[in-house]
Amino acid sequence: MKARWKGKASEAKASADPMSKIVSQLQSSLIDTGTCGLLSSCSVLIEVDDELADLLNRACFGRPRITAQKDKQWFQLDMEETFYLCFSLKCLKVIGEDVSTKSNEELWEYFKSKKPVFPISYKAYSHLRHKNWVVRLGLQYGVDFVAYHHHPALVHSKYAVLALPEGDNDLNGRLRVWSDVHCTVRLCGSVAKTLLIVIVNSNGLGSNSPSCLEHYTVEERTITRWNPEQSREDQRGLQNQTKEGII
Amino acid sequence: MAVVSLYLKIGKVVQTMRSTLKTGTRTMMKRIATHPGPYPVYNLDISKARWIDDLAMAEVVEKKGKMWVTMGIVRNGNTYCSIEETLFLVEIGALHVLDGNDIHLSLKELYEKLSDGKSGCDWELFEVYRHLKSLGYVVGRHGVPWSVKGQKIKSGTCSLESSQESNELLEPEQENKNSIMELFDNMQITEVAPAFHVYLPNSKFRKSSPGDPSFILCMSRGGPPSRVEIEAVERKHGAIPLKFCHVENGRVSFFSFAKVELPVLP
Repeated sequence: MKARWKGKASEAKASADPMSKIVSQLQSSLIDTGTCGLLSSCSVLIEVDDELADLLNRACFGRPRITAQKDKQWFQLDMEETFYLCFSLKCLKVIGEDVSTKSNEELWEYFKSKKPVFPISYKAYSHLRHKNWVVRLGLQYGVDFVAYHHHPALVHSKYAVLALPEGDNDLNGRLRVWSDVHCTVRLCGSVAKTLLIVIVNSNGLGSNSPSCLEHYTVEERTITRWNPEQSREDQRGLQNQTKEGII
Repeated sequence: MAVVSLYLKIGKVVQTMRSTLKTGTRTMMKRIATHPGPYPVYNLDISKARWIDDLAMAEVVEKKGKMWVTMGIVRNGNTYCSIEETLFLVEIGALHVLDGNDIHLSLKELYEKLSDGKSGCDWELFEVYRHLKSLGYVVGRHGVPWSVKGQKIKSGTCSLESSQESNELLEPEQENKNSIMELFDNMQITEVAPAFHVYLPNSKFRKSSPGDPSFILCMSRGGPPSRVEIEAVERKHGAIPLKFCHVENGRVSFFSFAKVELPVLP
């Protein structure tokens, strides 16, 4: 569980600047400026001033779009990020192409139509964000998300995250065969991340409304490969590694 | 010429295995190297056992070497080997097995016993067993106590499905009732079952007081275990770590699916 900081200065910087505080400042700033996002397919675009841009960067929400525009900056948010800001933090409004504000229910249905597994992936995303982890999409690693202790500039990512529905997962189809387990664990290992599965149980509530999310339950497990050639000598090492969920 | 090339081949095998074997079996491999085949070699260094069909185990009649500290179960002063232990020792030339009529049982006949399913083990489980044993781990069948004082060996001891708890003071009747119920339980709920309990190679292992294993190894057939299946096994075994193994094309891999809880960060 220990963070791998990029240099000693990084750890100190992160301590002085806890993520919970940064996100809280972002939340306040978005509310104060009454920022609205523009829904465009699976992305939401927001136009922000320098202060907000800085907060978005530090809190790791969205990706900046480099444009020629001088006075404001544009950021592009993913579906999970958008919904977290709208529904969980209640600090962002989203406008559709018909210029009307989308309610949370409308956003929920819309995102589900774009990504059927959205309820599961959102629950996993918000579960980790809620605990002040930095969560970004992890497509390039073949997983759903990557989770960091703090800003990626300060720390190497600890976990590669897969959001899995409990039980019958026709939605997701990951890790249903051993070859996928081998493949995913190996890939994660080659990029120095531990595979974390966040198992979301909808408890039979379906996904008609975002209010269902409250009653979803979540279980976290790490999947790691054990090499018997390596652990023979050290009984205590084996126990500690098992406790930390490394092996 | 044939003898010399066989000699060299064996020497190479011994060299590669030498670095990975525990002392007892290492010494045994050395002895094989100095005795070109065919095997078995009737010399003073090979242990002897008699296969008993009713028990699906081999009763050891002559012990040689240090391996008996970590192999075989003890009942009423006698030592008995499961099919996987027997096969492992025969494969490395450390054991000579006879049948009920004192006739030598070949490796072929022992592989057949493994395949007929009556000995509570199968090829995949044997591959896992051999893989860990060759690396020096101490491996026992889950649910089968290493030693039980004053109790004769029962037939069905080696049935893998009867997941008896490793309790040395079980009443025989109670044991049978529990094992039948557990057999049904396991078959209905899950295909994932604990197979072996494993101790690290350099632990000071004693059959009389083995202590808790370093981990319990489950075989998950078909696909990876589901959360429900993992939890069912975890519930039964509390604090002892679990590992899941998978065998395909002779490759044995081990995975942990440890429950964690990421901390709330500042």
